[in-house]
Amino acid sequence: MVNTLTKSEVNISELIDRPWITIVWDDPVNLMNYVTHVFIKLFGFSKERAHELMMQVHNEGRAVVSTGTREEMERDVQRLHEHGLWATLQRDDKI
Amino acid sequence: MSSFEKVGSGYSLDLTLDEAQILINLVEQLLELLGEGDFFHHYDSNDPLAQLLAMPAEIVTPDDPVLLRLLPNAYADPEAASDFRRYTEPQLRGAKQRNLRLVREQLTVLVDEHHGGVIEELDADIWLKAINDLRIALSIRLEINEDSFETFELLPDEDPQKSVYAVYFWLGWLQENLLGLLL
Repeated sequence: MVNTLTKSEVNISELIDRPWITIVWDDPVNLMNYVTHVFIKLFGFSKERAHELMMQVHNEGRAVVSTGTREEMERDVQRLHEHGLWATLQRDDKI
Repeated sequence: MSSFEKVGSGYSLDLTLDEAQILINLVEQLLELLGEGDFFHHYDSNDPLAQLLAMPAEIVTPDDPVLLRLLPNAYADPEAASDFRRYTEPQLRGAKQRNLRLVREQLTVLVDEHHGGVIEELDADIWLKAINDLRIALSIRLEINEDSFETFELLPDEDPQKSVYAVYFWLGWLQENLLGLLL
């Protein structure tokens, strides 16, 4: 049984305001140029910005590529999966 | 050496018969793994309403590591991942199948006529995605990592895996070739 009382302690407005993020994870298969190409195509990034994010994925193992509502991030993740990139979404935990 | 070329506003690919056959074999194998055509036989759905609405009642996380990489979990949380998969996996699977079928259709012409040749007016975006999915599938089977090119070079020619590695790296070269024309 879930204790609903603890839920009331959560600040609801903070939960609602916290955005969702799409994360792309590094893998040893996708070509660097391909990842850059997909970022430009799906998110309309400049070549420079797409390259920068691709390098972040490569060097740090992950990068946040989009921020927004849960529904928007689910769409982004689905489109990234269609292109064979390894992506997940989650609530932004930095706030 | 086979390569993509930009022709006017479109793209073409020049392949030998051997190359076309290797590609079509891979495409067939991946289509088989993804479950060609009717996706319902992959899911245990006895719910007549779900079948009527083309929404499988139960879609399980794939056991096969290739399928799990091509149709990955969208959430770290298993319950959220499973919910998301139920609503989106058929579309994702379908998109990958459509890309592969289109590539197969264009390759079939070359293979059926028993000669290599040029595939004209190909959809660069679809070919990129299809080649990428083939590379991903091979990479899982070969357990590709950062050192795999060295592993490949050190393998003796008689090792049966050597040719699979060779195909994997060839596909990477082809994809890079097409990307060079697009970027």
